[in-house]
Amino acid sequence: MLTVCHLYPDLLNLYGDRGNVLAFVRRCAWRGIPVQVKEVNLGEPLNFADYDFLFIGGGSDREQALMAADLKTRVGALREAVDNGLVVLAICGGYQLLGRYYRTPEGREISGLGMLDFYTEAGDNRLIGNVVLEAELAGKKTKLVGFENHGGKTYLNGLRPLGRVLYGQGNNGRDGLEGARYKNVFCSYLHGPLLPKNPMLTDHLISLALERKGKDFTLAKLDDSIENMANEAMVKRLLG
Amino acid sequence: MIVRLILALAAAKLAMYLSRLTGRGRGSSLPGMLALRIYPGLLKHYRGQPRRGVIMTTGTNGKTTTSNMLADILEHAGLRVVSNREGANLITGVAAAFIKSGTLTARLNCDYAVLEVDEASFPVVTRWIKPDRVIVTNFFRDQLDRYGELDTTICKVQDALKKLPGGTVLVLNADDPLVARLARETGKSALFYGVRPDAVLAGAAAYSREAKFCPFCGDTLVYSVYLYSQLGDFRCPQCGFARPLPDMEAINVNIDTTGTRAIVRGNGSNKGIWPVSLPVQGIYNIYNGLGAFTTALSLGVAPEKALDSLAKYTPATGRMELFYYDQKPVTLTLVKNPTGFNQALTGLLSQRVRQDVMIAINDNDADGRDISWLWDVDFEVLVKHLEQFNRFICSGQRAEEMALRLKYAGVPPALMTVEKDYRRAVDMALHEEGAAVGMLVTYTALWPVEKILGQRAERVSSHADRVPSVS
Repeated sequence: MLTVCHLYPDLLNLYGDRGNVLAFVRRCAWRGIPVQVKEVNLGEPLNFADYDFLFIGGGSDREQALMAADLKTRVGALREAVDNGLVVLAICGGYQLLGRYYRTPEGREISGLGMLDFYTEAGDNRLIGNVVLEAELAGKKTKLVGFENHGGKTYLNGLRPLGRVLYGQGNNGRDGLEGARYKNVFCSYLHGPLLPKNPMLTDHLISLALERKGKDFTLAKLDDSIENMANEAMVKRLLG
Repeated sequence: MIVRLILALAAAKLAMYLSRLTGRGRGSSLPGMLALRIYPGLLKHYRGQPRRGVIMTTGTNGKTTTSNMLADILEHAGLRVVSNREGANLITGVAAAFIKSGTLTARLNCDYAVLEVDEASFPVVTRWIKPDRVIVTNFFRDQLDRYGELDTTICKVQDALKKLPGGTVLVLNADDPLVARLARETGKSALFYGVRPDAVLAGAAAYSREAKFCPFCGDTLVYSVYLYSQLGDFRCPQCGFARPLPDMEAINVNIDTTGTRAIVRGNGSNKGIWPVSLPVQGIYNIYNGLGAFTTALSLGVAPEKALDSLAKYTPATGRMELFYYDQKPVTLTLVKNPTGFNQALTGLLSQRVRQDVMIAINDNDADGRDISWLWDVDFEVLVKHLEQFNRFICSGQRAEEMALRLKYAGVPPALMTVEKDYRRAVDMALHEEGAAVGMLVTYTALWPVEKILGQRAERVSSHADRVPSVS
């Protein structure tokens, strides 16, 4: 049984975020892997050790401030879980929060959880549009597609990115990198949402979660013709 | 200045004429754009000209319908109305409506201007034209890549309302906490309209609910009934912010395939009880009708006259417009955001016949380039009633992703076809075995699909001069 934690769905549900949880759950269910989702909202008890996959989405500024305040009280437990290999997907605002700080346009630094060594600065312009990345998952190169819409520009300090930008802006529009990886934590600005459109990434996360449980993690093959068609249509349209 | 004005108006009128002549455009937006390029201060010449006033409608969904219903009512009452019925609701569309009705020296001859104004354009338009009444329908997330966050949109509208003269009256949806808050936030006097929170109307699509928290104190809002999305009977346990008692309230709402009926009770200055009948479906159309009715009565229109007009209302293109292909009913619905899409799905389910569904999703600028919102639409409700559906045909630029969304909602891939070409997709939907067809399309797919459908099927009613261009 895999247990998924959808963190603060009441607060963080911009841009079809729930599609990510839906994809993880469906792809487990289609293979007969028992899976359950727990939605944990603000102020509710949360023991990270109970979970195999943690999803943190994005929200508007006001909602993110509430989330940040709540998560800061649990940062020790979260760090321990991450060190123990907890599989995490953090998108957009959730991604920014895991870093060291976010510097506002006025130059004020809002401290993040400091779990990953990167920082984010507000930019003059928002980075908005379709994105294609080349990512390496379990030693295999694959193209991920999604949509980005962020004002913050993230700089990685040598941390491993999720992938290299083939089309779009990525973390900051300058260094050609997108997202971040640390242990089993995956961060990305791509909403759109990311997982249903990129089944290879979803399956990679499922494998990691099963592996951590010590289960046989060879995933049964699924008929991904619609998934691949949607992914390839965007790759073709954007890269020609 | 006068030379520039006349040049701008002449150029716009020529563009309107040419676009009609060639049949390429509908002349509802481009001429306005041209005129404003030549003379950006153009709108100030129309200020104060409508003899009895200006009424604007803004909000996320229902602007076109509410505004057109009100314009119909006022015209039916014998008044002269200038209106951007085409649904071109940016500053360019508002300018085009004035230019079209006015002379070459910007003279207008009308009692009212009834204008639908996009939320993001509302602050810009109200800098030039001061409305006497503002109807605010609802606020839902819509095209985040263009508007930014919903909070930002609401704040912009709110700030613009604050800047209007003290005598401005707001006509507000009582059931939407994001709208109802505007009375207190702006200090303007307000009339409220709403639907009595009746448990039988309660909606299930909770995922796109926007307002979980009190806009004043941040506590979680408590609902006795949700009607749809964040609309319902809300109350903040902390600070007491609550659904205001509507001045005009619909009770006993009854919706079927032929239309919507309800009883309307006037609680405020217009006391009374009236039966209302609308030839369009959906609970959201009751809200649209109520907004128009409340405003019309506040302008002194007799209730009977207003109800008579509402009963004859003809929907604009893509607002659940009805066609027949042989004996088979085909409805065409514009979808642009999760709440509107959820309502359209509720509309399909209410037909209670086996049907084919064509969905065309584009991601051009006017549709919103980000189609992530499809993942916030509650397609799962279709799967609960899969026996009502024959085939799902996915079309448009993002046909594949639409199919993907349906697959993850639980629709068996065997029931889906991806056909990116509209013409083939429309024909396929019409020729399938279902007893009815529902077509749901995003904005830039609406015109091509409507045109193809118009060639194949019989339109139940038509207003050739009422075609929207931007919604």
